[in-house]
Amino acid sequence: MKERRMNPRKASALKDFICVVPALILIAIFTYYPILELFRISFTDWNLLNDTYKYVGVKNWKWLFAGSGTKYLWNSLRVTILYSIGELSVTLIGGMIFALIFNRMTRGFAAMRAVVFMPKYVAMSSAAVVFLWILNTDTGILNYILSIAGINAVDWLGNRHTALLSVLMVTGWRCIGYGMMVYLSAMMGISTDYYEAAALDGANAVQKFFKITLPMLSPTTLFLFVTTFLSSMKVFQSVDILTQGGPYRSTEVFVYNIYRYAMVDFRMDRASTVAIFFFFLLLIITVATMKISSNKVTYDS
Amino acid sequence: MRKGMALVLASAMAAGALTGCGGGGSTGKAANVTTAAQETEAVDPAMYEVTEPITIKWWHALEDQYSGIVEQVVNDFNSSQDLITVEAEYIGSYSKLNEALVAAHAAGTGLPAITVANTPYVAEYGAGGLTENLDPYIEASGYDVSDFGNGMLEAAKYDGSQVSLPFLISTQILYYNKDKVDELGITLPETWDEMDAFMEAGTKKAADGTTEMYATIIPGWDQWYFETFYLNQGVKIINDDQVTTDLGGEKAVEIAAKIKEWCDNGYTYWTGTADDASSNMRQNFISGKALSVVHTTSLYNNYVDQVDFEVGMHWLPGAETKNQEIGGCVVLIPSKNDQATKNAAWQFMQYLVGKDVNMTWAEGTGYMPTRKSVLETEEGKAFLEKKPAFQPIFDNLDLINPRIQHKGWSQLATIWKNSMAELIMEGGDVQESMTVMAEEIDDVLGDV
Repeated sequence: MKERRMNPRKASALKDFICVVPALILIAIFTYYPILELFRISFTDWNLLNDTYKYVGVKNWKWLFAGSGTKYLWNSLRVTILYSIGELSVTLIGGMIFALIFNRMTRGFAAMRAVVFMPKYVAMSSAAVVFLWILNTDTGILNYILSIAGINAVDWLGNRHTALLSVLMVTGWRCIGYGMMVYLSAMMGISTDYYEAAALDGANAVQKFFKITLPMLSPTTLFLFVTTFLSSMKVFQSVDILTQGGPYRSTEVFVYNIYRYAMVDFRMDRASTVAIFFFFLLLIITVATMKISSNKVTYDS
Repeated sequence: MRKGMALVLASAMAAGALTGCGGGGSTGKAANVTTAAQETEAVDPAMYEVTEPITIKWWHALEDQYSGIVEQVVNDFNSSQDLITVEAEYIGSYSKLNEALVAAHAAGTGLPAITVANTPYVAEYGAGGLTENLDPYIEASGYDVSDFGNGMLEAAKYDGSQVSLPFLISTQILYYNKDKVDELGITLPETWDEMDAFMEAGTKKAADGTTEMYATIIPGWDQWYFETFYLNQGVKIINDDQVTTDLGGEKAVEIAAKIKEWCDNGYTYWTGTADDASSNMRQNFISGKALSVVHTTSLYNNYVDQVDFEVGMHWLPGAETKNQEIGGCVVLIPSKNDQATKNAAWQFMQYLVGKDVNMTWAEGTGYMPTRKSVLETEEGKAFLEKKPAFQPIFDNLDLINPRIQHKGWSQLATIWKNSMAELIMEGGDVQESMTVMAEEIDDVLGDV
């Protein structure tokens, strides 16, 4: 009998596949299965307090898009986008400016860089609690400093116009060092040849920045943009500790909105519906970002 | 391979569709919840006895200022018998405790043997089957519940069953700075109509128009503090049909507009719903920046300890009625515990709500005596001698009613207090704001 051998190419592909199977199984159990479950729960009337539930068709979807949930859906979408713009600005623009300032390879600057980067190591929950004190209306140090400058006390966390800004302060304090570090390492990778050539042509510092540094950093900017944007859309901890979504839901970002339906109102059905919507929204945004940016980024030859 | 994958997917989807056709589901947890009907048939006292040593957890929401009493009560119980060891655990505020409890109930694990619960949660828990029905326990052990104040006992029931027992009971009260009230010769308001005059007389303004002393402060972080103003003027927070609210009606709008007017005039300010709203309000009263505040009676000792003036308590101004509501907490046993744990919890519960322990709380804090045998006897008089400020509460005991019980209550409450805060702090048309709020509440009440 003639021995049947597998095409070596196919065999190798099969081996590769077997290697990733354990990872696939884990992802399937812990990521895809829960998402499917969420989708199913969104068609039920499951209240966390009850042991049983029944299927109610598209009732929750109607509630979300044409019922009392709509108002808060758009509210949380608006708040989340505002927050994301804030975090992106701090990480990208702030990080870039800090990177330019701290781009000196001396011991003193290394120490300063460490100081700026340090907050990233502090747990978000701890940082938020510290800021609770800093921002306290009567006893906070921020209002104390403002009072020296003759400015009236601001109710940072209790006022709709400053609450989101307060949350962003914590974010900025934590993230600016991260943006700086990523940009710094990328700046070091830019060949000095470009700058020398530009200097020979008589380019000034501003021209060098806009014509060389900025374009050469575009892959890094894209990376930072995508990762920061996605993480900022999922902000929760700082909001939970600082404002609990308040005052009157003005800092109720998406994830907090879901948490509120699930763990405060115990409406798992509604929480699941919003979560599924959020999942697809993030998916679309991610794909769109990657598609749009893929041909707008300059990679070093 | 692709074909195989498609097959697996298709069959998985088919399986999903099949279960979907069942038209119902269960959260897949052990359903060892005994129903009232099963238990009331024949109560065997032996079923509810503790026979083996056991350690149980007690969840509470009693903050640091009560930790001495908590420790004392638990230690006393632990040393009073050999079998049960109680461990007290502070979970957080009532709402944090609520979140933790419901999550543990849904998961079916990590439940405490016994827990406190803020009074408005009784209905939600009762309806959801979270609480053990205590009737058979009461019957089996011959525990006398008739000594509890009627309203308090009623507030701890759901659908006629005793699903919890009154533990630390309080009510709303107007705390006032007696020294200053006497000095200024101010008459405290008995009715809502007298409020205008009181607010004007009690407010002190600086030359630049800013307020130096507020006449009163009404908490906005919990609607419990302002809901009686509505109830006593005939507003039905939940209509008799149980699915709509009267909060968008003419009278409700008028009351909200009045409160807003006081805030706009600087007679008072709206506290909002932030975490520090309560401590800021207390601070204003303690420092003399507020002539009076509406708060819970439970904090009486706390206020007295912190001020250098005499603290008086005044019944809230009424209207058609002068009713107030029960606040504070009940104790209950989560139904998903095993029987041995429930039995131990029942033993501890009897101790916890017992008259002696209750009086320890009443004397050391501002919580009220819960027993008729105290409230209506010489013991009550002795208590009043120690705490004369409690006189208005003893005078009006019959007017302290159970809370409104509805499954959608906590959602309603959240919408209401947020809407009030937004209306008063951001400004806007009262009628419009209340109409939008009422629509949202109707939607919640009709769908729970």
